[in-house]
Amino acid sequence: MQHFFFGIKNELLNSEIQIPLFQNRKFKSENLQLYKCFPEKNKWIIEKISQRKINDYFFILKEEDISNKDIFFLADNDLEKKFNNKILENYRDFTIRANLKIYLRHGGFSSYQSDYPYSMINKLGTILSPVSSLCNSQAEKNYIIIRNIFEKPIEEKFKAYLINYNKKKIEKEYDLQTNFTNILELDKELIKPEIFIVTEKYIGIPMFVSLKNKFISFEHTLPPHEYIFSKNVFKIVTKLKKEMNEIINK
Amino acid sequence: MKSLINKFKKNKLLKFLANTELGFLLRNSLQVYPQSFKTPKKKYPISISDCFLWRTDKNYQTKFKYADLLNLFYKIENSWVEFHFYSKNNKLIKIRKIENLDLFNELVIDSKFFNNLEDYGVFYIYHFSMNSKIMEEDNVLVNRCYLGYSQNNNLFSFVHGNVYAKYTSILSNKKIEHNMMKMSFLMNENYAIQKYFDGFDQTELVFINPSSKTLKFKIEGQKYMLKAGCCRIIEIKQPVISILSNCRLLRPTVFSYKNRYLDVHHS
Repeated sequence: MQHFFFGIKNELLNSEIQIPLFQNRKFKSENLQLYKCFPEKNKWIIEKISQRKINDYFFILKEEDISNKDIFFLADNDLEKKFNNKILENYRDFTIRANLKIYLRHGGFSSYQSDYPYSMINKLGTILSPVSSLCNSQAEKNYIIIRNIFEKPIEEKFKAYLINYNKKKIEKEYDLQTNFTNILELDKELIKPEIFIVTEKYIGIPMFVSLKNKFISFEHTLPPHEYIFSKNVFKIVTKLKKEMNEIINK
Repeated sequence: MKSLINKFKKNKLLKFLANTELGFLLRNSLQVYPQSFKTPKKKYPISISDCFLWRTDKNYQTKFKYADLLNLFYKIENSWVEFHFYSKNNKLIKIRKIENLDLFNELVIDSKFFNNLEDYGVFYIYHFSMNSKIMEEDNVLVNRCYLGYSQNNNLFSFVHGNVYAKYTSILSNKKIEHNMMKMSFLMNENYAIQKYFDGFDQTELVFINPSSKTLKFKIEGQKYMLKAGCCRIIEIKQPVISILSNCRLLRPTVFSYKNRYLDVHHS
């Protein structure tokens, strides 16, 4: 399956992406080209990235190569000729994850093995993720980062909410954008076990960042269905998401 | 070959044999329908735990964040969790039961927690409840959880659970089993880490054997063996790392250091 990659950038955080040319189980470098893609006026714009291959095994993208709109992926050399600028496709079955590192200038760094699989880019839905699992009330700053990649080149607004599950109320509302790395700053007082981040309409990868004394922690949360191995998993998770949607819509 | 495999699939006896412990060993050794792990099918609800690394060596503290899954997904109150802590050589050193759970909880593991032990090892979490009325027989809960590692009292660097390891009955009436991870007779599994380990002062890879068999692996030309449940920290030097082993899912946890900063993540 095709995998897409993305970076993160704001006034404090910069990122670096190491994109491998080999799969975990097959340590053989593939002759693939790295592409950058971003939406503009309802079209996907594609560009070849040729200068960032550091050896046979890796492309490394630095902060100057990255914006919150860009997505990156590997495909065959001749993709530009057959590229459809209306929809992203499964260009190459090549399962990989990239090391996505965020860092502070003159400070710490943190990374995880990231990807945005093709199977997610045509789906609508709801992100549901607890805030206290990865945020830190002792930190100086906490961010929730939500990256959406949608197959069509749209730049549509959608909402995210911080829901208080015990009080059944919305604590805060955020405006997000499709095909964008959305960076939300989180108030410390909202880092509690009963607070969840919930999106409407679009899904994405929820990631959490904490900063203290120039140290960083950065990790993504797992979707709720990964906690249950039963045939009724989607029924159980849908019920929980429905409860959250009822709080949003009441 | 395809028709042979189809015949094989339709034969109930062969299908049964292929799903025995020996069957998995043979499949993984011959690379015929290899499988990393098998979800247990039992006639009772199950709590699966990953194998989690604890560190109190080198001035480390470990913070473990976990959800009350029974309350979150099934609205079952008054459940409890049990933590089973093991040394790096798989010796049980502590069991901690925690009741009165919040929806999300945390446990800090420092050297004081182990009577001033400065070392590293493995732990597991199991969810239990006496309330079985809404738990269907085939319910299987997996607590992936989040682990933070802090050195010298600095910010915890978090990482999620890595690999399934052990399981038991949520009704707290069965023994703990640890045969989920499927191995091979041969060292025929390759796992290349998709990170370029260049420019760090030091990088450690932490290997935990999640299986009930002996884990054999080779890294940077050096061979290692780990008995069931054991773990080991290995410092690496090369920028590109490939691991040869007899385990289909051997993903070490990475600790990369530069200046005074630390990054922990799964490979």
